[in-house]
Formats: sequence, structure tokens, C-alpha cells
Amino acid sequence: MKVYQRLAQAFKAEGCTDTFGMMGDGNMYWVTELHKIGVKVHEVRHEGAGLGMADGYARVTHQPGVATATCGPGVTQLATGFVTAARAHSPIVAFCGESPTTDEEYTQRLDQAKFADACEAGFVRLVSPDTADDAVRKAFYRAKLESRPIMLSCPMDIQQKNFEDDDEEYKPSSAMFSPGAVHPDEKALERAADIVASSKKPVIIVGRGAQWAGAGEAVLKLADRIGALIATSLMVRTWLNESEWHAGISGTYGSRPSMKLFEEADCVIGVGASLNRYTTEHGYLYPEARYVHIDSEPHLLIAGGKSADCYVQSDARVGVEELEKLLAKRNHKSIGYRTPDVKQKLVNHSADRTEFEMDPGTLDPREACLALDKALPAEIGVLSGSGMTAGFVSMLMTRRRVLSGSGHFFGCIGQMLPAAMGAVVATKKPLVLCDGDASVIMHLAEFETMVRYDMPLLVVVMNNEALGAEYYKLDAHKMDVTTSMITTPDLGKVGVAMGGRGAMVTTVEQFTKAVQEWLKKPGPMMIDMRISRSVPSVPYRRIHYGRDE
Amino acid sequence: MIEVNERVDVAAPPEVVWALLSNPHAVVNCVEGAKLGAQNEDGTFDASMVVKFGPAKVTFNTRIGLELDAATRTGNVSARGKDNQGGTRVRATMKFSVVAQEGSTGSSIPITAEVEVGGKLALVVESGASMVVKRMTKDFSEKLAETLANAPVQN
Repeated sequence: MKVYQRLAQAFKAEGCTDTFGMMGDGNMYWVTELHKIGVKVHEVRHEGAGLGMADGYARVTHQPGVATATCGPGVTQLATGFVTAARAHSPIVAFCGESPTTDEEYTQRLDQAKFADACEAGFVRLVSPDTADDAVRKAFYRAKLESRPIMLSCPMDIQQKNFEDDDEEYKPSSAMFSPGAVHPDEKALERAADIVASSKKPVIIVGRGAQWAGAGEAVLKLADRIGALIATSLMVRTWLNESEWHAGISGTYGSRPSMKLFEEADCVIGVGASLNRYTTEHGYLYPEARYVHIDSEPHLLIAGGKSADCYVQSDARVGVEELEKLLAKRNHKSIGYRTPDVKQKLVNHSADRTEFEMDPGTLDPREACLALDKALPAEIGVLSGSGMTAGFVSMLMTRRRVLSGSGHFFGCIGQMLPAAMGAVVATKKPLVLCDGDASVIMHLAEFETMVRYDMPLLVVVMNNEALGAEYYKLDAHKMDVTTSMITTPDLGKVGVAMGGRGAMVTTVEQFTKAVQEWLKKPGPMMIDMRISRSVPSVPYRRIHYGRDE
Repeated sequence: MIEVNERVDVAAPPEVVWALLSNPHAVVNCVEGAKLGAQNEDGTFDASMVVKFGPAKVTFNTRIGLELDAATRTGNVSARGKDNQGGTRVRATMKFSVVAQEGSTGSSIPITAEVEVGGKLALVVESGASMVVKRMTKDFSEKLAETLANAPVQN
């Protein structure tokens, strides 16, 4: 058996069922072996997009996604994807070829260890044939432990050597690392209970850590006991909004009525949420609050480099359950925020009623988001990008869904189309991506990949024919906005030309009709929705125009 | 750096306007969300001011210096302070004068100011801070004009 064959078998033994990437001579033998042993290889049009798909896969499953690229120029394409995935805490193993160890002048040579380090990825090198198992195991172990991408760099010449111990069974990383739930320290929990029990207006902010830990029911129970409002980080927007005391997103994408209520909070309980500068607006959203922070990490600093008043290291579900039990033992029960007046304020609190005149031949992106939210059943997830248009989707599409996500981890554009494709592969369910024109076009070639694998993904291009964020920033500074405007072709026709379905829409009626057509038979489809530049999103109105909305 | 270059026209004559503007308490009353505190030994005043950046309110605690020249009816105001969480600093200088309007008994008040917001909040509000300062200047002008319109006529 060759080393590359053993490496492929080891990936399969680690549980890898799907990989995303592009073949080159540094990984082609390994890729071919994967095909042979039944691991699905999704051949993409850009290595970085392949990594983005592995990222999307990992975000949904919270299990390692696998990407692959050839050596040198294949690896350098991974830069943005690596950083984005690292910021998203996505466990990923990227199998990368490396130039032969015997050829220092090899054209595609690259110091891949330095590259990985600069891109916030971990690095594991295959140093000899007899360490093939160790290298794969270490890469998966570190990806799961560190929750970030790990580059497994495999020199081409070593891959071609013989692997001698092929009669030995591969021992997967799960045999050496099986994470269990972290239980809270009793004293820390007592301090947390003291703070919560003395609070009259508590807010619970849940994040991805709470969702991953399955803490939903526990959070609702605790919130009921202490009379808390429930808010989310942007990344889990709409989660738990079955509660009538759900105040939506905490942070820049939050509604004005919610922000006014948060201002009164005297206690914030962060559960599996980093409580970063965006979630708390540097702490300004909660000027009078004391913080209780529950997270499985040994410790986390919140916005502004401060420490919570009480940090409880714990699995989110276990920590919240134990806190609730302790408060019950103390007979603590509070109305907190839960008055008829507050309930009234939360009715349709995220509505955006500001009027704008639409540009000719365009529609109001807000109306389109509301129509889409209404048309899509709850079992269809919606992802959004990180550009200006994300403000519409995040604030207005409030229906609780199996999957809702955003792509703000690195502030880059272009990464959400691949991530959405990875999520579709992971869930095997129809999904909708709403993203800006510049972002979708960056990896437009991957629409062809969608078609090749018949992915049930609807791409809604919120097309304002501009680099949206820059357009509004220039406008706010009274500079020449035309420098940010870029015309686009009819992307619906582009979708059709690539073998999928497509439509260009300029009215909400046309848009709804196109969505209904997709719903009848979900498959690869692109809707080019022309939206009016006259409508900035609410966060942009606040940040760039100083408006109190 | 946010620069303000405004001109407020009011119907009141220069001596009435100057009487108001040289009274720190009266001026602070024209600034929404501002409260004047005690006067310090060096002549500066403590003051607090609530500023709204979007829906979020931020309270700044500042020290204000006031230099007035009654002969030329000009004033220099300086302010520096921090917000109540200590994450944002503000520094501002303002120059104003009171001049008679040509052809009427009213006054004009040219105001130039430079405001610098630094620290965490500056990252959040970006260009919006400039809009907020300009909106506050406009509110101040309107409140000033309203106050002067209601001021007792001096003979």
C-alpha cells in the first residue's frame, strides 16, 4: 500500500464522508483513492471555495469538514477561507500537497507552515511514511480540540512511498479524545446565583455555544424563573423566538425597542456567547448591567477586554440547568421584565417603517425579505452574507427556522456561497442564501459546481449593482459614490447558462413567483433581485448616518 | 476629527445674545442632555452630557473651560472627558462670536468647532458620529434661538 492510500483510508476512518477541493498533482492520488473507497469528493472551481464549503459543513455539523488543495498555488488560494473558518471556530482538516522534500527548487514550493500560521490555521506535516497514521490522527485531534482549521501538509514524494504497516487498524482521534460536558464549579455558581437573584431586569444572551450544547429548553426555563428577556447573538438569530419574551438580536442588528429595553438591564447572563463588541456594542447597550458569563472555555474576556462579574466555566446546558436549580432551591422567582407593557413593546419590534423612494426598476429589499420569510416554510434554512444586505435579512426575517446563519466572522465577502453549499451537503436539505451581488459574483463559478452536484440551494442575489458597504460609506462622507458602482449582467440568465434555473426580478410579485417555483422543486437556482440603493439597512443608518432608528 | 462650521441667526440684539452666551448655565440649558456641575478652583466646570449614538445612550463626564471676552463678544470653549464606562474619550474646542446683523437689530453667531471622538465608540459609530455632532449643533442652534426669542426685552 502506498502512503497516499493509507492517508485516504485514515480520513475515512475519522468519519470523513465528503471532501471539498480541487485536484492537482500534490493531492490527486489521495483524491483518487478517496473516490475508490467511497468518500465523496466535491470537485470545485477554486480551492478557497472548497475550503469555504468545508467551513459551511463544519458550522452545521460541528464536526470536522475536510478540504483539499494541491501544493503551493493551491494552498495560497486558501488564505481567506482559512482565516474565516478560524474566526468561525470551524474544525477543518485541509489535506494539502507539499512540494517534494528532495527538490528545493520546485516551482510550486512554498513555506506552507508559515502560510498556515499567518492564516490562523494549525499545521501538521507528514514527515515520513511510518507516521502517516499519526499525522492524520493529530490533524483531526487538533481540529476538534482547537476548533479551527488544521493544514495537513503532505510532501508529494512521501505520499508515493510504501506504507509498511497496512495490516494494522487505524485508530481514529476519537479514541484518544472524547470531550465530555464541563460541569460548573459550585462556588462560581453560587456567585452567579447571587448576582441573578439580586437582579430586577435580567437579559439572557444566547450564542452558538448554547445552541451546540442543546441548552434551549434550559434557557427558557431559567428565563421564566427570573423574568428575563431572551436575546441572541447575530449568529443564532431567531433561535428560541418561540418565547414571547424574545427580544431578537442583541447588538448592532438589534431593534430599537429592544435596545431601549436592554438599556434598563441590571444583569446580563451570557450563555455560550462571546459577548463581544458587536453583541454588546462595547458594553454601551447594557450601561448598568452586571455580567454572568457561562461558557465551556476556561475563561473569556468580554467586550472591551473586561471580565464578567462572574465567570462560570461550564457546558452551556449543564451550567444553565444548575443555575436554575440553585435559584429554585433559594425560592427565587421574579417577574423581571415580564409585564404587559414590555410584552406590547416586543410585538413586531423589528419592523422597519421608514419610507424611502425606490430607484426606478428596483424593489424595496425590506419588502422582499418579508415576502421571502413568509413564502419559505420553517424547515428551510436561510443564510446571509456579511455585506450591507445582511442587515435586511438579519433584522427582518424573524421566522424561526431549522437553520439561520450569518457570515460576519472575518468581514469578508464571497465566502457565504461556498459555506451555504457545504451546509447543503451536510444537511442534505434545501437551503436559501441571501447575499449581495459583489459577494456572490466573487465565487460565481461555484454555481456550476452546485449544478453538477444538483444542490437544492436557492441563491438570492440582493443586487444593488454596487459594493454596497462602500457605497453608503462614501455617501455618508459626501464622496463620489459612483466609484463603488459596478454593473452586473442578468445573473438569472447566468444561472440558466450554467445549467441551473434562474430569474431576474424587479418587483416583489415577480420575486415571490420565482421563489414559489423553486419551492416546487428545490435545486440549483439563482434569483437576481434588483434592489434599490435608496434604502440603507437599519445598522447602516445608525452607524454611517447617525440615525436613531 | 469632526469639524463644525455653523452660523446661527437670531432676532435678538447682540447685547441680549451675549448676556445669555456668557452665562454657562443658560448655555448648557440649550444643550439637550447636558447638566452643569460644580465650578472648579481653576474656573473650569464639571459637566455631564448624554449623547445618543443611534438608539444607544452614552453619558460623558467632562470638564469644560470657558474664556469670554466681553469687549469683542467672543468666546472659546474647551471640553474634554470620558464616557461613564471609560472606553471612549471626547475632546472638543469651540469658538463663537456675537455680531450685529447688517440692516437689522438681530444678531449672528458664527460657530466653529472641532470635536474628536476616540476609543471604542469611535469604532462603532464611524461616520455616524459626525452626523450626531452636526445634529446636536443644529438642535443647540434651534434651542438657542428659541431661548432668545423668549428672553425678556432689555431697554
